Amino acid sequence: MTRRRMFLRMITASLLRRRSRMLIALLSIGIGATILAGLVTIYYDVPRQMGAQLRSYGANMILLPEGEEKLDTERLEQALAQIPAEELVGATPYRYVRLDMTSRQQSFTSAGTDFEQVQKTSPYFSVEGRYPESTREVLVGKEIAETIGVRVGSTMELTYQPAAAFASGSAAEDRVPGATLSGSAEGWSGGVVYVTAALDGDARIAQITIDASTQTEEYGGRADEDEAFAAQFIGKSLPLTLGTDVDALSGATVTSAAVVEALNTARAEAAPVQPRTLNFNVVGILVTGGEEEGYVFMSTEDLVSLTGENKLDVAELSVLANADQLEAYAAAITGAEIGVTPRLVKRVTRSEASVLEKLTALVFLVTAVVLLLTMICVSTTMMAVVSERRREIGLRKALGASDNSIRAEFLGEGMFLGALGGVMGAVLGFVFAQVVSVNVFGSSITFQPLLLPITVIVSMIIAALSCLLPIKRAVAIDPALVLKGE
Amino acid sequence: MLFRMIRGVLFHQKGKMLLIALTIALGASLATGMINVVLGVEEKVNKELKNYGANIVVKPKDSSLLSDIYDVGEGAELSTAYLREDELGKIKTIFWAFNIVDFTPFLDTQVTLPDGSAVKMVGTWFNHHLDLPTGESLDAGVVGMRSWWDVAEGGRWLDEKDENAGSEIMAGSLLAARMGWKAGDTVRLIGSHGEQDVVIAGVYDAGGDEDEQIYSTLDLVQSLTDRENKVSSIEVSALTTPDNELAKRAARNPAALSSRDYETWYCTAYVSAICYQIQEVITGSVANAVRQVAESEGTILEKTKLLMILITGLSLIGSALGISNLVTASVMERSQEIGLLKAIGARDHSITGVVMTEILITALVGFAAGYFMGFGFAQLIGSSVFGSTIEMNPTVIPIVAGLIALVTIAGSLPAIRMVLRLKPAEVLHGGH
Repeated sequence: MTRRRMFLRMITASLLRRRSRMLIALLSIGIGATILAGLVTIYYDVPRQMGAQLRSYGANMILLPEGEEKLDTERLEQALAQIPAEELVGATPYRYVRLDMTSRQQSFTSAGTDFEQVQKTSPYFSVEGRYPESTREVLVGKEIAETIGVRVGSTMELTYQPAAAFASGSAAEDRVPGATLSGSAEGWSGGVVYVTAALDGDARIAQITIDASTQTEEYGGRADEDEAFAAQFIGKSLPLTLGTDVDALSGATVTSAAVVEALNTARAEAAPVQPRTLNFNVVGILVTGGEEEGYVFMSTEDLVSLTGENKLDVAELSVLANADQLEAYAAAITGAEIGVTPRLVKRVTRSEASVLEKLTALVFLVTAVVLLLTMICVSTTMMAVVSERRREIGLRKALGASDNSIRAEFLGEGMFLGALGGVMGAVLGFVFAQVVSVNVFGSSITFQPLLLPITVIVSMIIAALSCLLPIKRAVAIDPALVLKGE
Repeated sequence: MLFRMIRGVLFHQKGKMLLIALTIALGASLATGMINVVLGVEEKVNKELKNYGANIVVKPKDSSLLSDIYDVGEGAELSTAYLREDELGKIKTIFWAFNIVDFTPFLDTQVTLPDGSAVKMVGTWFNHHLDLPTGESLDAGVVGMRSWWDVAEGGRWLDEKDENAGSEIMAGSLLAARMGWKAGDTVRLIGSHGEQDVVIAGVYDAGGDEDEQIYSTLDLVQSLTDRENKVSSIEVSALTTPDNELAKRAARNPAALSSRDYETWYCTAYVSAICYQIQEVITGSVANAVRQVAESEGTILEKTKLLMILITGLSLIGSALGISNLVTASVMERSQEIGLLKAIGARDHSITGVVMTEILITALVGFAAGYFMGFGFAQLIGSSVFGSTIEMNPTVIPIVAGLIALVTIAGSLPAIRMVLRLKPAEVLHGGH
């Protein structure tokens, strides 16, 4: 029989025959390893989980347009592409306009938004009734509701006065679909050319009427009847350039230029469009305790139908990231040069950082204290189990076993128990961490593969260390004394 | 005789008993420390969450809507109702006064700068000294409630204890950048009822709308607009208990509660109860919970507490198993001694009595030592994480003592019974 086989046999025999004591030792190591694996897993997961909880404070980044021009969905999506999808809790677009409630002679700031996203970025909103789910439904802030006495189930007639929006001379694409433009410009020899154009849904010219009756019949006057000339304008969007977009009527360059100029001027000074009115059902009253209580919220689609423009003032983002990462995303959005200015909501990011830091420190210290105490507990139990075997050690010594072989055997036994308990603890610890995570945060935890070897190694080291001291003492004593029981 | 035997064991088997006492002490310290931390963590985390700013806003009852909804309120001073500055101290006299961490009044106006542009100016308290009717005194103000503001280098927070505080302002970073202002500059402000030269004490970066505004003392705005003793809103930062069903019902209409529910609600630090009590002391006011802060606070507090309870539960189970494990091991180790006692005619119950008494005395010593160690751990956690001590709850003593007794008995009794069942001759022969 080789030495190694004998060694293995002694260890297994000892483990099997002394079942109850070994079970105690194994249990003790197992508990230690479970606590180790469980707490370390929780400790690693707490910042992420707590960070997700702290998102209940709402948006931590807002996107604003870079210049005067408002945001649109396309640019918003380009900006959002800079943030990893799994870290984006929600992105809520907002468009603010003032709408009139003519029946009460009052006007309110109204926000067009996406209610599905609102519930993600502002989880603290409390709605009596429900969030709007389809068009023609509004959510009314509590203060407005109390002032004008609307309730869930009431109806509201809201009117948009587009004058202000049009006077700014915004781009042609902003035009209300179906608007009609008319203008005039000075043509040949002081005569005035009148043009009326109807725009289609995409703000392109659908129909054009030219009145050039003041022009000389044989030159500019033909612009009235020349169908080929008029047809050039159809389907074009304003402003136009003569020679590039449309060709001049031969021999009537000045008149042609006057037609283009009339259209372009009309575009620039577009007349206000008729006010638009829609009827809404009040489906919810919003309570926040903040300024939102003074707003009326409706779906973006409704606001687009009222204003005719699909633009955004601001987008609120809730991102699952710490301040440094947020800065990096903000820099990426700025760097993408899409005309979007990101700003961090300092109140939220700063506070989140400090709260998260405290909570992490708390869990860290608690973990450290618990681990320290547990490991000492495990060692004392191991020591008790090993020191009980002094007689056996004495006997072996008396039979001629060398100190080293005794040490090796006991250490081997201890480390075997450590490995077994470590594996057991790593599995149980993960189960425990999972239970905690599901109960506290309602989400599952990810298994850290590295933790398995760490737990096993730490358990083995602790088992070996706690065996060493009692063995050393037992080995040092004269076998005769030990066997005599002193 | 029993006494002598016990003393014999305690003194002759010092090493072993010390090991048991040490393990029990560790377990007891773990239990003491963790339970105290769990009991104290809510208050500590609650204080940390005050970083997010006020959770209650108080406004005048009648005109709260005007300036907010009609925008025109700004500068035009459309709102006619105000709160009274001299009543502010009363906030610290309500039932839950102790839970009011900080509060500050606000009064807005629009001032004209020398270049003709109009800027929103907010008057508030910075570190305003208040002497309460109760004889207490405190410093309240915006400094503690805007923890996320950064004051640019070279500047400082406006200090109301300073003599010149009344002619100083703080300017928002965007405004200052546009106007080319920096700390120390003098600017002339023109209000609706007067004008004054002011010195910029500091430029702040708030990361919000405030960056376009001017903050100054309440007195300055009051004198510039001739609105003595008037305040347009108050922000209050209070420690609150997370809302439950009762609190939600009460928030809708306190009058609808039964008198018993009303009392429970009124005497619990729910945010709605504190709002209600503030309305009682401030004339013509409406106090509302800022849900962004109040609601989130409740969520975070509950989660933290639950997390700590579960960690504590795990560590308690762990240390309980550890202790009873060791006790079992140490009893079984004494099988020879117990066999001998049996062989010379000792009865089972007297052996049990002797062994149990020894172990319980050891446990008591371990518990006493452990309690103080646990005290140390709790303070270590409290001071290094939250920078303040954790209050030691006296009810923890009987809880931990009971736990230790239970665990020790549970660990030793089955072991004693097992050893007693063995035949003395076998035990003494060593043939098990």
